[in-house]
Amino acid sequence: MKYAAKKLVTMLITLLSISFLVYFAFDIIPGDAALAALGTDSTPERLEALREQLGLNRPFLERYFEWLANFVRGDFGVSYKYKMPVADMISSKLPITVMMALISFAMMVVVSLPLGVYTAMNSGRRIDRLIMVVNQIMMSVPHFFMGIVLTYIFGLVLKLFTPGGFVSYETDFWRFISYLIFPCIAIALPKIAMSVKLLRGSCIEEAAKDYVRTAYSKGNDTRGVLYKHVLRNAMIPVITLWGMTLADMLVGSIVIEQVFNIPGIGRILLTSISYRDYPVVEAVIVLIAAVVIVTNFCVDIIYQIADPRISVGGR
Amino acid sequence: MKKWKAYPVNFRIGAVITGIMLLLIVIGFFYTPYNPTAMDNSAKLAAPGLRHIMGCDNFGRDIFSRVLKGMGNTFLIALATVVIGVVCGTVVGAFTGYYGGWLDEVLMRVNDVVFAFPSILLALVFVSIFGTGKYNVVLALGIAFIPSFARIVRGEFIKYRDMDYVKSARLAGVSNLRIIFVHILPNTLTVMLSSVMIGFNNAVLAEAGMSYLGIGVQPPDASLGSMLSEAQTYLFSAPNYAVFPGLMIILMVLGFSLLADGIKER
Repeated sequence: MKYAAKKLVTMLITLLSISFLVYFAFDIIPGDAALAALGTDSTPERLEALREQLGLNRPFLERYFEWLANFVRGDFGVSYKYKMPVADMISSKLPITVMMALISFAMMVVVSLPLGVYTAMNSGRRIDRLIMVVNQIMMSVPHFFMGIVLTYIFGLVLKLFTPGGFVSYETDFWRFISYLIFPCIAIALPKIAMSVKLLRGSCIEEAAKDYVRTAYSKGNDTRGVLYKHVLRNAMIPVITLWGMTLADMLVGSIVIEQVFNIPGIGRILLTSISYRDYPVVEAVIVLIAAVVIVTNFCVDIIYQIADPRISVGGR
Repeated sequence: MKKWKAYPVNFRIGAVITGIMLLLIVIGFFYTPYNPTAMDNSAKLAAPGLRHIMGCDNFGRDIFSRVLKGMGNTFLIALATVVIGVVCGTVVGAFTGYYGGWLDEVLMRVNDVVFAFPSILLALVFVSIFGTGKYNVVLALGIAFIPSFARIVRGEFIKYRDMDYVKSARLAGVSNLRIIFVHILPNTLTVMLSSVMIGFNNAVLAEAGMSYLGIGVQPPDASLGSMLSEAQTYLFSAPNYAVFPGLMIILMVLGFSLLADGIKER
């Protein structure tokens, strides 16, 4: 419990610092919000009036805390470009990006767990060596290039999906999912390769330990030892990797959305950057960072449940 | 020098791939078969052949020449990123690990904050504040890489700082700075080497991703990532345009990760 409490405090401090740094970074940009909204050809008087109205003349800290308080309540400010609340712009796109990350994550777990154990059990055999070679190559393929390759093979040659096509989850949920399958494969493949390699290594290392021999000598069969003892310990480093991966997948989907032309959070972020629509950029970045940090916190907690040896003191 | 055959297989394959890649990069700095930015209307989207071994892009520019230049750009950006990360990370890690105390606490908390912030997001923040361009990407990725190196170096310094040889050096009146940089730092090199190589790979992938999104290397300058992004439009008519830049990224990363694995195994 003490461990969880300490991690919780650390998480809150990290969240606070990141929101502060991002707000600060966008505050010191030359050219303020009033200028961005009215354009460079407006009069100084009108600029001053809008600054007053937007509250830009108030001290920095005061504005930061107001922004933070609104942010926590779900009010992310108003977009310069579209003049609509940022929350409304994001809310319909967020499920798309989150769904992509979750599907990719599920793919990774479902494929890498059996494959990792299988290669470990057959280590040194031809099939293991073959899988490991493929694995090593997969680890070197950038996910967006994988996306392009998948588009070419399955979209243009085999015509299994329409490249650039997309159906919103509001119109047809299952067709929406079907359009996400290939983007998710592109995100998941390099991560599958990584976790197969880690799980295989960790299983082999664990299976060579003394307690495994003891378990065998007590009359357990291979399967029993593998699932009851080895896998449990071998999973610990893999869980850490998976935790970091979930965050990676969320961020990675920013790029993959461009490859497959999916209108998710990444698209909003990139167009807002090119329009210098700072309230949107700020909100999306803090939001993604917050999801990443909260995920890491959950992983730390799960990690401790999986491995009770971890505590506050022993680091 | 050990005999070549004594090295693990993956190390040898990695060394060969990396050697070829480095050779191509060096050649690309001094010589390209065509001017990488020269457009040739008669050769638009030409298929690979004897004149253009990788074909031409939508402006009739020679893809092979652009790939050579792009590899050079990617390599230099990744190198600069890793240098920033390693130098700053080593200094932070060395001092916090050696001295401990409140400085350690404060810097490690800062470290955690930067570490929690995904590197692509940091680069996007930099780009939206300072504008697009390769120097901003280098700076952002470099900063994003500091925490992981700092952690590794710090861990090593904690391991060494209470060892007998360090204690006796201190008793002999050696200054702390000399102990840090002359007595302890060389011992951390082996651990650093493989993480530097993995870091380099991450930098290559990150740079390619940035340039793919159009916020890294700016046109008409060539970059493997931006070539892929252009190639996507012509994927059906000219798949070779996408294949070659992609292949080069894969080979660069593959060569280095095999080398890193080989070093770890020894």
